[in-house]
Amino acid sequence: MIEIINPGLQSIIVDSGRYGFSDIGVPRSSALDIFSYKAVNFLTGNEDGSPVIESIGAMLSIKFHEEMVFAVTGAWVEGVLDETPFTSWRSIKAKKGSIMKIKKVNSGFRYYIGFSGKMGIECIMGSYTTNLECSFGGLDGRPLKKGDLIRFSNIIPVDDRFIIKDAIPSMDPPHTLRIIDGPEIEYFTDDAIEKFFGKKDLLRYTVSTKSNRIGIRLEGNPVEFKEGVEKSIISEGILPGTIQIPGDGMPVIVLNERTLGGYARIASVAKVDQDLLAHLKPKDGVILKRIDIEEAETLWILKQKSIKNLLKNK
Amino acid sequence: MECLRYGECGIRIIFGRTIDKDINNRVINFYRSLKLKRIAGIIDITPSFNTCLIEFDSTVIDFKSLIDIIKGFDVDTTYPKDLAPKEIEIPVRYGGEYGPDMEFVSQWTGLSFEEIVEIHTSTVYTVYTIGFIPGFPYLGTLDKRLFVLRLKTPRTCVPAGSVGLAQLQTGIYPFESPGGWQIIGRTDMVLFDYNKPPYSILQNGDRVKFIPV
Repeated sequence: MIEIINPGLQSIIVDSGRYGFSDIGVPRSSALDIFSYKAVNFLTGNEDGSPVIESIGAMLSIKFHEEMVFAVTGAWVEGVLDETPFTSWRSIKAKKGSIMKIKKVNSGFRYYIGFSGKMGIECIMGSYTTNLECSFGGLDGRPLKKGDLIRFSNIIPVDDRFIIKDAIPSMDPPHTLRIIDGPEIEYFTDDAIEKFFGKKDLLRYTVSTKSNRIGIRLEGNPVEFKEGVEKSIISEGILPGTIQIPGDGMPVIVLNERTLGGYARIASVAKVDQDLLAHLKPKDGVILKRIDIEEAETLWILKQKSIKNLLKNK
Repeated sequence: MECLRYGECGIRIIFGRTIDKDINNRVINFYRSLKLKRIAGIIDITPSFNTCLIEFDSTVIDFKSLIDIIKGFDVDTTYPKDLAPKEIEIPVRYGGEYGPDMEFVSQWTGLSFEEIVEIHTSTVYTVYTIGFIPGFPYLGTLDKRLFVLRLKTPRTCVPAGSVGLAQLQTGIYPFESPGGWQIIGRTDMVLFDYNKPPYSILQNGDRVKFIPV
């Protein structure tokens, strides 16, 4: 069993996502950084798809009521386990009664904490992940709070594991996001497209403080619509990573909490770079770089292969 | 029917360019047939007013193979009995504390409270699509006399069960949520139960009739 001493800024239970129900409006609500999510399960000897904690901010503190192995992935953190410092991306053994605390987040935004056992979380509609808006999944559909107890079964011994530094992507701003053309790209003037996609790696946008787990708002030059075009579309299915342009011209990157959208979609963040969206924090600079769909597809298949190889049990 | 690519792992099937009962009917027939086929590699299917989005896992099936399957695919318009569209009656308390925008709708449309209720309850609506939040039905087509625009500033909190109007649609909020529809009433009916399949009382293509209580 673990006890939440301090939930940090926000901690929720997540997994690889709630799929198969977008036809009744249920979004996937998955972990935002899927590589880090998969890695934390690997480091703690869990199967892919197991529930883990996704957190933001420092101060998160957890007490271990029994011996187990845990690991932190995602953002690079400085933590202490009792008095001993630890960092992200390796497995750590905690004794019964130990307290771990995240003192600082150095690079990146969201981090993932996994434990070497089966978390006692109810599976709702095929997933453990939390739908915060509608208050279901995870732990009673809400963020973790002080005093929460999470039980574990099948706690297994795990050998020392770590992820080599070279395999961990940079999470430092400015963030370069490769993007591909969206369905409504023709709604925008050539000049707007030129400016939005650009030719050089110029810093074009900053992340707005109004961003949240539903969407990331970007601030910068508004994207201009062609004269006379409708500024919205008939609502239809939308994919995570889509960049929508509302009437005010300020781009919004859709994350994992919506199934339908009614704004014009100028572009999509290439899947190969979507994990990075978990680490865009307010005021960070964002550079957008246009690639074609074939390149994006190849990069995505290669990334999945390399993750599979890296996280293979020896 | 036009198949367009969307992102690395999405296909948009376009059935028309407008909100129209027949176009939506074709979307829903296609979606139901596709869902029943359980094609390996399809992760999610999102039918909407005039399009159907298919998301696939590109490590299982590629875009071209999936397009070939879709193009050679017979849309079955006959349903197994348990999948046929249902007609559901939804009891609604109109106006007062349940319908905070009733007065505005009345002023805007020039109709009385009674006329609004009469018009709203006399149509059998179709569930054109479900989404934005789980179980939220976009119902159409609303009688033109009830056409109203969305609120200029959306409410930060609309109570669960609220029945609203927006352009030529009417809808129901299954959860307390932010929202910009003009709220004219509220139902006690639970529209979404995450513990009990099929989770959403209303499915795409179902028919809905409001009953004043």
